[in-house]
Amino acid sequence: MSLEIINTPIFATIQDKGRFSYTHIGVTHAGVMDEYAYYIANMLLGNKKDENIIEIAFSNVEFKANTNTQIAVTGAFCEIFINNEAKNSWQTHNLKVGDIVKIGKFLEGSKVYLAVKDGFKIKKEFGSYSTTIKENLGGLNANRLQKGDVLKINSHNLFHTSRLKKSFHPKYEDTLLLRVVLSYQDEYFSDKEKQKFFSSEFTVSNEFNRMGCKLKGEAIKCDIDGIVSEGISFGAIQIPSDGQPIILLKDRQTIGGYPKIGSVLSIDCFKLAQAKPNTKIRFKQISIEKAQKKLKEFYNSFN
Amino acid sequence: MKIKVASVDSLIIYFGDKIDKDIAKKVKNAYLCIKKLNLDGIIEIVPSYTSILITYDIFTYDYETIKIKLEELINLDETQEDNSKLITIDVYYGTEVGLDLQSMSEKTGLSIEQIIKIHSEKTYDVYAIGFLPGFGYLASVDDRIALPRLSTPRKSIPKGSVAIANTQTAVYPQASPGGWNIVGRTAFDFFDKNLETLSPISVGDRVKFNPISKEQFLKQGGVL
Repeated sequence: MSLEIINTPIFATIQDKGRFSYTHIGVTHAGVMDEYAYYIANMLLGNKKDENIIEIAFSNVEFKANTNTQIAVTGAFCEIFINNEAKNSWQTHNLKVGDIVKIGKFLEGSKVYLAVKDGFKIKKEFGSYSTTIKENLGGLNANRLQKGDVLKINSHNLFHTSRLKKSFHPKYEDTLLLRVVLSYQDEYFSDKEKQKFFSSEFTVSNEFNRMGCKLKGEAIKCDIDGIVSEGISFGAIQIPSDGQPIILLKDRQTIGGYPKIGSVLSIDCFKLAQAKPNTKIRFKQISIEKAQKKLKEFYNSFN
Repeated sequence: MKIKVASVDSLIIYFGDKIDKDIAKKVKNAYLCIKKLNLDGIIEIVPSYTSILITYDIFTYDYETIKIKLEELINLDETQEDNSKLITIDVYYGTEVGLDLQSMSEKTGLSIEQIIKIHSEKTYDVYAIGFLPGFGYLASVDDRIALPRLSTPRKSIPKGSVAIANTQTAVYPQASPGGWNIVGRTAFDFFDKNLETLSPISVGDRVKFNPISKEQFLKQGGVL
């Protein structure tokens, strides 16, 4: 009972919420880049909230069902074909033995999530299913999915289809407004530089991966060149000496020595995860109280 | 001690702003203290040279509450029971694995034997862990052999390489790009999936390097 990968995916990995409590020895958090799409996919299937999932970062993944099951596809709007018949995302699909599923072109957004009923039957490593290739941890053999990989699953029959209401579908827009709490070294950025940071428009560069997202735009100057290396939070905004911000994401290094002006609210990092090179970015300051309220609302909405 | 917001669900405690043994001692003391408190809703505690990053559950604490709680509970005056370890690492300092020994000898005017002696006679403190899992930043290297990073980093440094950058020394726990000066190699695993803790070292531990022969290195499973 399994799903079998039948083409060569460019970059698809098994992820979950992430690997926690090993940061102090340098192990990154990992986990899905877009938690919204992740929770919805598992919710549609009635899975455990933190069940594992496939994160697909580039188009064209094909697999074959070797058993009856149900899948959910969320995240980037993309072509989905089951035995060459076009299907929609943000809903579940029933599969029968022998069905061929193809995730084709991405139309809007940049990360597709594919969940299966009851999750993939693989072993957790250090508390998580998440794959971090450079740490040789998690996933299937700690690697991206390869042609011929067989992912064990449970067999399921006769499900009604669940869909996410259209009004809850995300919009992957060309301009993103990211909310930022000032933090870390913010006092080493003058009022003028902070004002520049919050009023300029930046662009997502090609240096955008699971570790982080480098932006292009007007250079932001910090009064200090570097700091003694310290722990880095999800969403932290590093300003290296070239003044181009780097937003640190799920596979970020655990400590680092660049000054940081603040941190992007996690929920907005999930939106950033769906951006592409040339997406426009603006920042808006938010208080820590408001940020925590927003994040609680986000997590509460899945309960 | 100064507590600041780090992100929506994390805060950072600063004990100073430079690499310094006394500041590191405060970090270690506070780190042990926070671990001992074993508070609910603390997700991560990441000590480094001058700071501790704490990630917390925002459903348990808001920022002000956890900040006040930590200010109250961290007592820097009370010395914590120190369960840190002294770890001895066997190192083969041959020139076929100590890729920069020759150039270091030329740059410092010291013989290779002297460089090995200077590097291995000191006991180092683990100031921080990061960059790679199990990559411990150890200090302080004797000034006579404290050479800066290579101007062009290597594309791949072999696993187990023992290296120096300025006054810091470290062991590469896995093959990785890097620009540190390589003086030798060890068969000791700094990142081991068979360990419950994943890595044998913690911030605050001490490390001493012990020179061994090529034969001993190979016998320990070392790879040239």
